[in-house]
Amino acid sequence: MQNKLFIFIVFIFSLATYAEEFTVQKTWFGDPDLQGVWTNASLTTLERPDHFETLEISDEVAAYAKNVNQETVENIDNPYEDGETPESGGDVGGYNVAWMDPGSDFMRLNGKYRSSIITYPENGKLPRRLTRWAIEGPSIYRMFTSADHPEERSLGERCIVGFGSSGGPPMLNVLYNNHYQIVQSPGYVMIMVEMNHDARIIRIDSEHNPDEMKPWLGDSIGRWEGNTLVVKTKNHHPQQKFRAAIRHQILMMEGAEVTERFTRTSENEILYEFEVNDKKAYRDVWKGEMPLRATEDKIYEYACHEGNYAMANILAGARAEESK
Amino acid sequence: MTNFMIKTIFSTFMILLSVNSFSHHAFTAEFDANAPVNLTGKVLKVEWINPHAWVHMEVEEEGKKTTWMVEGGTPNTLIRNGITKQSIKPGTVIVVRGYQSKGKLCLPRCIANGRDVTFPDGRKVFMGSSGTGAPRDGADPRERR
Repeated sequence: MQNKLFIFIVFIFSLATYAEEFTVQKTWFGDPDLQGVWTNASLTTLERPDHFETLEISDEVAAYAKNVNQETVENIDNPYEDGETPESGGDVGGYNVAWMDPGSDFMRLNGKYRSSIITYPENGKLPRRLTRWAIEGPSIYRMFTSADHPEERSLGERCIVGFGSSGGPPMLNVLYNNHYQIVQSPGYVMIMVEMNHDARIIRIDSEHNPDEMKPWLGDSIGRWEGNTLVVKTKNHHPQQKFRAAIRHQILMMEGAEVTERFTRTSENEILYEFEVNDKKAYRDVWKGEMPLRATEDKIYEYACHEGNYAMANILAGARAEESK
Repeated sequence: MTNFMIKTIFSTFMILLSVNSFSHHAFTAEFDANAPVNLTGKVLKVEWINPHAWVHMEVEEEGKKTTWMVEGGTPNTLIRNGITKQSIKPGTVIVVRGYQSKGKLCLPRCIANGRDVTFPDGRKVFMGSSGTGAPRDGADPRERR
């Protein structure tokens, strides 16, 4: 009798588990459906800050870090006393924090808060080859300081691609514009990146283009492994070798390959995993993962070139400096 | 090259870059740290454009009127948070504190960044509709309705 009762309980639990298991919807052409607008905004950064010791952090630690972050933001946003004029020789800064959208909480996977996007190496740090970074340093520094003509400026400033590695691969969170829209059609997956409205066109079951072709966001091909979209990207554009944002600075040298995996784990979430293999810039591969969360937020027109007054102002500023 | 030297070069390089990689563009390349501004005036119009929105305002000092263009951030975030073109109407008096551009010809308008933009009573001009200014990141399930 006890055995029968045990089997009955196991049966009921199995039914309950089965009922909760997410069934991935299919597109009309039969591929798993990843379509929608998603966001990776989060306080979790690519690399693990030194004050965190582990990948997973407790709710208490996450709540404390979240409060510290909020206080820091408040201080950034209220730099002056009433009536006070900014200090001469001070940090010119940017603009009010309200314009930013970096996320309000740390990312969670499997119900646990994460201290870094990087999962390997286990210390959550990029395994940089410092000699390579030192070698590349001067040319990268010139990209951010020379202003003889627009082509000398960074790709982000020129509205060619978004700054940092927002467009990827890997697609990393930045201070704002952290939305992505995925659209599928037979043979293709398109990921529109909010920042600069870059579009990643992933060809399904295709071969890589000739190595001479180096698109701004690399050459991506994909295949389905069950319900997981596996994307391999190589031939990154040489001018995309350095990607800088407050939250990450990565090198992506010639020959680098990135593998991404997109798995829809629920109606409201895609598990996004990636692995970067770049032997020139890193001593080892590095891996990361994050959730892409569904949102009903809209992605608005970007039209970066049309409103890029900053470029003219930067060049005018350089001319003013020269005339001193 | 010793490991220490490499690390030092790397660290210096990253510090220099961190200043310049704050946003879509390098504010330090555009604005003059030695030219702080504290402007009070009426809004003429707001350009809700990417990559950065611009607030046009008229500042009157000693009987002379000057038009300023003040740089903000990407408008997408504010629009998502409920700020619209109607939220900041022409004629509204605002206070802008920031820095003037390095180029100071003021042709046709003077330029500054809006590091701190408030109403005269100190309230922030740019706030989300929730009143908290809190960003939206999908962590709140209510965001997907």
